[in-house]
Amino acid sequence: MRCLGLVFPQPPHTWAETASNPPLTIRSMSSDASLPPPDFELASAFPEVGWLRQATAARDWAGIRRYADGLPQGTDRAFLVRVVAEVPGVEHFLRELVAAAPDDVLALTTLGTREIEIGWEIRSSARAEHVSREQFRQLHEHLRQAERLLIRATALDPSHDAAWAARLTTAMGLQLGQNEARRRYDRLAAYHPHHLTGQARLLQQLCPKWSGSWEAAHGFARECLLNSPEGSLSGGLVAEAHLERWLDLPSTGSERTDYLRRPHVHAELVEAAERSVLHPYYRPAYGWVTIQGVFAALFSLIGDTARAAAHFRALGNLASEYPWSYLGKPADAYAKHRSAALGRG
Amino acid sequence: MSQGIHHTEVDGIPTLFAYATGPMRAGLVFRVGVADETLAGAGITHLVEHLALHRQGLADYHFNGATKAAFTHFHVEGAEHEIVAYLDGVCTSLLDLPMERLETEKEILRTEEARREPGQLPLWRYGAQGYGLVSYPEWGVRGLRPDDVRDWAGTWFTRDNAVLWIAGERLPAGLSLKLPAGQRRPMPAVTSALPTAPAYFSDGKGGVLLDAVVTDTTAARLYAGVLERELSRSLRQEGGYSYTAASDYTSRRDGFATVTAFADALPAKQDAVLGGFVDVLAGLQVGRIAQADLEAVRGRSDATLTAPDAAVRRLPGAAEELLAHRPPRGLEELRAELWAMTPQHVHAVALEAAGTALLQAPSGHRADWAGYTAAPTTSSYAVTGKRFEAVRKDEPAMVVGGEGVSLTAGGEAATVLYSACAALLSWPDGGRRLIGTDGLSVEVEPGEYGIDAHTMATIDAAVHPSAVVQLPPRQQRQQRQSEGAASAGRTAGSAGAVRQKTSARRTGGQTALLVIFGVLAGLWSLLALSYTVFGASDPETSTGEWAALTVFLWAVGALLAWPAVRVVRSTRRG
Repeated sequence: MRCLGLVFPQPPHTWAETASNPPLTIRSMSSDASLPPPDFELASAFPEVGWLRQATAARDWAGIRRYADGLPQGTDRAFLVRVVAEVPGVEHFLRELVAAAPDDVLALTTLGTREIEIGWEIRSSARAEHVSREQFRQLHEHLRQAERLLIRATALDPSHDAAWAARLTTAMGLQLGQNEARRRYDRLAAYHPHHLTGQARLLQQLCPKWSGSWEAAHGFARECLLNSPEGSLSGGLVAEAHLERWLDLPSTGSERTDYLRRPHVHAELVEAAERSVLHPYYRPAYGWVTIQGVFAALFSLIGDTARAAAHFRALGNLASEYPWSYLGKPADAYAKHRSAALGRG
Repeated sequence: MSQGIHHTEVDGIPTLFAYATGPMRAGLVFRVGVADETLAGAGITHLVEHLALHRQGLADYHFNGATKAAFTHFHVEGAEHEIVAYLDGVCTSLLDLPMERLETEKEILRTEEARREPGQLPLWRYGAQGYGLVSYPEWGVRGLRPDDVRDWAGTWFTRDNAVLWIAGERLPAGLSLKLPAGQRRPMPAVTSALPTAPAYFSDGKGGVLLDAVVTDTTAARLYAGVLERELSRSLRQEGGYSYTAASDYTSRRDGFATVTAFADALPAKQDAVLGGFVDVLAGLQVGRIAQADLEAVRGRSDATLTAPDAAVRRLPGAAEELLAHRPPRGLEELRAELWAMTPQHVHAVALEAAGTALLQAPSGHRADWAGYTAAPTTSSYAVTGKRFEAVRKDEPAMVVGGEGVSLTAGGEAATVLYSACAALLSWPDGGRRLIGTDGLSVEVEPGEYGIDAHTMATIDAAVHPSAVVQLPPRQQRQQRQSEGAASAGRTAGSAGAVRQKTSARRTGGQTALLVIFGVLAGLWSLLALSYTVFGASDPETSTGEWAALTVFLWAVGALLAWPAVRVVRSTRRG
């Protein structure tokens, strides 16, 4: 599950919420007892998540730091930061840390990310028209607090990937502009050229819902695909761009289906999958459950069950809120499409 | 005595001398400038400077004058006898200004002003007084009488308020500086219109501008240089967002200096320039000062201090320091200090600068997300008094009280108290603009508020006569507004914002709407008119039917005309 919790106009539920409220999947799964229900628990895909949550609860900052510092070069550390920042109440601990060590970049970044979380919880995941002026004011106040911590973090360490990735979220929420978002991504990419979390956030910014354009969104996704090494997850951005565009079309009528059935869309998805998660060099990394899920969802929506099946098989029963929240109730949507793809149900 | 610069005296005027070959250079510097003026009298020092130079005519040696915030310079370069003639001429003119030139020089100043683009930062930092006056037009010039100018010259351009500097092989023979006695003037008071810092305001399209007031030190000079290199690297070389990124360091000579930084931006890249600018400052604030940058800036400074003409170049600044009672420092002392500086010293300046910074973001961009507080564009309270509603809808209301005037809208107010009114601009058509010493202004248009003549007279009477500026007839309100926006940005308070909205330029679509509905309404009205006139005589319709249909036809005509009327009312021609 990737840290894509902040798709602002319609944010998917975060996995932290699902972890405390296990998804009810019994109804749809009852039709086929042979397949286990989808598992949205992040720790199932990444066992270290359990340890990180425990370390956070135990306030073992030295341990978390050691763990973060020990991650291999090129690891998407926004993942780890997000895991810690999603722990309810962690802001108290983090504020004490930052007060005592104002130059601790990881602590600044995690607290900044936590402030974004808090702001988002206040805003709620409702569509903008159902969010009160006061909710927006509080969201923006938390985003500004986050931004100040993150400005300091990137000033202290301009190569800190998680801090830049979080600043892509604040740039979006505070509506700082397309060029500013791109500047932040470029700063991130200067040190981390294929940073999946950063790429996914910039892709959101480039979509029309954030004053971007489909041309920009597809262009960037393609850039990610072609510039990344074969077998890397970045190719999945091509699929995410198509998924976003699909969602943007009216759900009534046939426009959504027509879009996905355009030959070039299918061809691009096939190319992207073959260059990323289906490539021989592919090795699962943070975010793989989401990317496999996006391919599985899109091929299912197109009706190419054979290709969808390959991605479902790779997933086992693992799932992430994104993309499945776009297709209805996440667990139901997942089960329905998986059954169709695997020829059972 | 500082090395390379020798102190002496000429006709009772402290004189700084530095040995130099080649053409002789000299300067007469007075401790007077724009910051000593008032808003309603702004420009008087500049006018004196112009008048004092008039008799130099078209001399073929190089000379010039410059009126700055706190100092006025007369500068000359030429042969020994030319220096003597110039300085003698300036002093003679200051004693007896050529008043027959008064109106002509006023005209020249107005021409000069039209080309001047004063920055907005001083008025936001200092208000409409003291150092803030450099942001404003020279509103005082028009109304100055010969006696005002003579008094000003006699008060400020005196022997005791001057320092002479000379660079040459010797003091020129026959030098005579006949100036009246007076007194050394203290430095201008430092006023503040910023309740908190760092602060920001939004104005202009040109890019991002920032200034900060820091202790005047060698470290601060280095900070300005390092900042420029960082801005240039980040915004120009790495990002390609800016063409120009520059910084400036200007000592105020009162122990503090202003560091100014600027980065231009293409309209489409303003957000990225602002973001990059903020990050450059943040980097320096956390102490990321590249040793290589420090060495580069240090090397450049050292080259200036060790250049053959180092002492000569320092003379005008040293003269200012002497006038401010700050003994000029020697080159060796400055060099020793320069080489003792470390990144930690520069870091300390970055932190000091962060605490006083004022940032000008491009229009439409905020900087609160970066920790900058919005500089005030409204007052904390409104006066009580007679209330006038605007004739046009959605405009703020005007309150004229015994202590001042306020514009109020939606719980916010812009207030100018008579007791803190820096200037009352007065047009013959009855329009007034009051500008408070805090830089906020309130426009009083009697026609737009239905304010009676008696109330207008109370405003005129309440403001001290010395603060009143009589301006010539204006052509159009709109033109004056744009002039006001350029010259005193803070006008755009709550009132300005509302007003800008109602006088938005008409768009192409609106013009089309206007034409289409205007024509439709016209044609329909012809139909309605013909039916009204001829329908009554139609034997097949009763009078009741005729009346009903007539009313209906005219109502449709009115409906058709309405969109066009709306467009006309809410816009002006582009």
